[in-house]
Amino acid sequence: MLRMAQVSKHYGSSVALDAVDFSVERGEVMALLGENGAGKSTLVKVLAGLEQPDSGTIEIEDRAVDLRSRSQARAAGIAYVAQELSILDHMSVAENVFLGDTSFGWLRRPSMLAKKAAPFLDLVGLGSIDPLKSAGSLSIAERQLVEIARLLSRSARIAILDEPTAALSDAETARVENVVMTLAAKGCSVIYVTHRLGEVFRLSQRVTILRNGRNFPAFPTRNIDVDGLIERMLGRRLDQMFPPRRAGEGDVVMSLRGCSTPGVRLPVSLEVRRGEILGFAGQLGSGAGAMIQAIAGARPLTAGTMTLEGCSYAPRSVRKAIRSGVAYCSDDRKRDGIFLGRPILENLSAPALERVTRFGLIDPRRERNLANGVAERFEIDRRRFGSAARTLSGGNQQKVALGKWIGTDPKVLLVEEPTRGVDVGARAEIYRHLRTLADQGLAVIFASSDTQEVHGLADRVATFYHGRLVRLGNTDAISLEDVTRDVTDADQGAAA
Amino acid sequence: MESARPPGDRVRVIRYAAALVTLAATLIVAGFTTPAFVTYDNFLAIVRAASITGIVAVGMSFVTISGNFFALSAGQMAAFLGILFAVATVAGLGVPAAILLTIATAILAGILQGMVINVIGNPIITTIAFGAVFGGLAAFMSGNTLIRVHDDAALAALRFGTARPLGIPTQSWAFFALALLSWFAIRTTRVGRLITLSGASPAAAAASGLPVGLSSVIAMVIFSCGPAIVAIFSVAQFSLAKADQFSGLDIDAIASVLVGGVALRGGQGSPVQAALGALLIAVLQNFMLLRGLTAGERMTIVGLVVVIAVAGFHLAQGRRR
Repeated sequence: MLRMAQVSKHYGSSVALDAVDFSVERGEVMALLGENGAGKSTLVKVLAGLEQPDSGTIEIEDRAVDLRSRSQARAAGIAYVAQELSILDHMSVAENVFLGDTSFGWLRRPSMLAKKAAPFLDLVGLGSIDPLKSAGSLSIAERQLVEIARLLSRSARIAILDEPTAALSDAETARVENVVMTLAAKGCSVIYVTHRLGEVFRLSQRVTILRNGRNFPAFPTRNIDVDGLIERMLGRRLDQMFPPRRAGEGDVVMSLRGCSTPGVRLPVSLEVRRGEILGFAGQLGSGAGAMIQAIAGARPLTAGTMTLEGCSYAPRSVRKAIRSGVAYCSDDRKRDGIFLGRPILENLSAPALERVTRFGLIDPRRERNLANGVAERFEIDRRRFGSAARTLSGGNQQKVALGKWIGTDPKVLLVEEPTRGVDVGARAEIYRHLRTLADQGLAVIFASSDTQEVHGLADRVATFYHGRLVRLGNTDAISLEDVTRDVTDADQGAAA
Repeated sequence: MESARPPGDRVRVIRYAAALVTLAATLIVAGFTTPAFVTYDNFLAIVRAASITGIVAVGMSFVTISGNFFALSAGQMAAFLGILFAVATVAGLGVPAAILLTIATAILAGILQGMVINVIGNPIITTIAFGAVFGGLAAFMSGNTLIRVHDDAALAALRFGTARPLGIPTQSWAFFALALLSWFAIRTTRVGRLITLSGASPAAAAASGLPVGLSSVIAMVIFSCGPAIVAIFSVAQFSLAKADQFSGLDIDAIASVLVGGVALRGGQGSPVQAALGALLIAVLQNFMLLRGLTAGERMTIVGLVVVIAVAGFHLAQGRRR
C-alpha cells in the first residue's frame, strides 16, 4: 500500500531521518515505536505533507507520490490525527466530522450534516451522541474518536494516529483500540505511533522501530516480546553524558503523603532529601508532570498533604510556592520559562527582584552581582547580559531558565523536561549543572518522558504510568529496561 | 560595563531615531516654509499643546509597556476630573485640597480600572466602559454647563496655570519633569521592572512569582494621574471646566505613544519615546494649522502618520527575526 524508501531529513546539522525504509500493507496496523527524538514525528509529518524530505521516494499503491502539502497528502488518501486535537469546541459534532470538507458546497444545513455524520459516528462508537450537540462537551476520548470519524469520512486509505491514547483512561483507550481494529478490518492501513507497548501487542501486526533517525526492518509483532522491543528501542547508551550519582544521605526536605491531583489517579507518597535528584519517569499524560505541577502550586491538590522542612506546605499558587522556597521550571520554556524579548540580565534577576531592590530602586550593582553568580555557575556568557534572551540557543536559554532560580535560594527545584529542545552537547552541560545544584544542598525533582535521561541523571527514580506511581526506588537497583517497561507497559510488567 | 552594543538594541535605536529624525525634518521644513512657525508665541503654543498630550501620553506608555495596549478613558477621565476640581474649588474647598481630592480620585479610578482589567482581561473594553462612566459623571456633575471659578482668592491660587517660569509655561515644566521621572521609574525602580517584565511575557512573569495583576493596576494608576494633572492645569489656565473639553485627547495620546515607537505588544520601550511622540504630533499639528489645513485634513494626516509609524516599526522588528 505505502512504501517509503531511503527517506532522509535534516534540520540544520542534525539528522532527523537517515535513509529510512518504511512500508505498510493494506488493512494492516503498523506500530511505530522509538524513544523521544528518534524521528517518529518527523516520519509521520513527512507522510502528512507537513515536512518535505531531503531525499528518498514515497509510493502509494506502486505509484510515486509527491506530498508537498497537507492537501496533497489528503488527496493521496493519507489522513493524519495529530497529538494536538483539532476539534472546535463551539461547533457541532457533525460540523467537526466534516471540518475542512468542502464537498457539500458552502451551504451546510445542520440537519443534512447530522444525517451524513451519523454513520461515521456510529462506526467509532459514538452512535449515541447527538451530532448536533456542541463538541465542547465531549471528553478527550470522544474528541479523539470524532477525529477518527473525520478520517473515516474522508475515506482515507492510510490513517496515521500519533499517540491517540496518551491522555486517555483504560476504558477510553479500549474504545479507541476497537475503532482502530474496525478501521483496519475495512481495508485501511493504519500507522499507529505510541509509547504504550501493551497497545502494540493488542493492535498491530508488525512493528517498525526508529532509533536516532534510523529504522530496523519491520518485523511481525508475534515474533517479539516486551523485552525485545525495549532493547531495540534503547540501543546504545550515552553513559558519559551523566555525572556520577550520589547516595542521598541528606535530611528529608519535602514529603508527600497520599497526594493526588487531576491527572494522578492513585495517591502518591514520597520523600525527597537534600542534595538528591529525584527523577519522575513517565510519558505524556502519565501523571509525572501533573505531580510536579501539584508540588509547584500550579495544579490543585485533591487529596493528601505535603510538608516542606517539617512544616505543612500547601501552595495555592506558583507565587506562594516560590515564596516557600520551591522553584518550578515548566516544560514550555518559550512561554513561561524566559522573557524572550528582555535582556539576559533581567531574566536572571526576575525571580529575585526583591533581593536586588533597596527602597524601591533596583540596585544595579547587586543585580549584576546576582547575575554574575548565576552566570558563573551555569556558564552563561556575561558579555551577552545585555542581549535579548531570544538571541540565545535552546541550550543556553534553558540554562537561563534554570539558573535564574539560584538567586532565590530555593530548597526544592522542580523541572519538567529539563532538556526539551536542547541539543546533545548542551544536555550534558545541563545535567552537570543540575548535579552541582544538588551537591550544594538543593533537592531537585524533575519529570521527563526520556527514560534514559531519568535513569542516567536521577539518584532515585519514580516511574509513572497512566496516572499512578508504579515504582519508586534507588536508581542503582532499577535497570533502564525496568524504567522503560514501567512507563510504556506497566500493566503487563506487573502481570509478568 | 560592556562596550559592544548588543544586537537586540538595534531595533530600540531605530525606534528612537525614527521619531527624532521625523521631528527634526518637520521642524526644518516648517521653519523654512512657514515664517509664522518660528516665532516665540508659536513656540509657546506648540510646547503647551505638546505638554497636554504629552503628560497623558507618558502615563499611557506605562499601560502599553505593561502589555495592556491603551486606555481609552483618558479624555473623559480628564473632563470628569476637571469638573470635579472646578466644583471643589467653587465650593470653597481651597485649591490645594481640591488638587489632593482630584489626584486621589484619579488614583482610585486607576485602581478600579486596573482591577476590572484583571477580571475581564481586556483593557480596551474596560477603559471604553469606564470612559462612558466618567463622561456620564462629568455631564451629570456639571449639569452640562460651564463651571466657572469666580472667587478672587481661588483665582489667585490658580495663577500657576498661566505662569511662565523662565519663559516656559508651567504645564511644560510639569511635562518635562514627568517625562524624566517616568524614564527614571521605568528604568530603575522595581515597579518599573515589574511592569516591563509583566508586559514582555505575563506567563513568564507569573511563573517567576511576580504579581502580574498588580502591575496592571499600578500602570493604570500611573496613567490615571495624567488626565488629573492635565485637568487641573486646564482649569487653572482657563478658570473653567466643561464636560466636552478633552474630546481629542485619547487619540492624540495614543498617536504619541505609537509614533514615539513604544512597542505595541508591551514589554519594550520607554515613556521618553511617548514624550518625543507627543512633541512630534504637536509640531505636525501646529505646522498644518499654520498652513491652513482643515480639521479633517489634519486628522487624516495624523492618522496616516500613525499607520506608517506602526507598520514601519513592525517591519523593522520582523526583519530581525
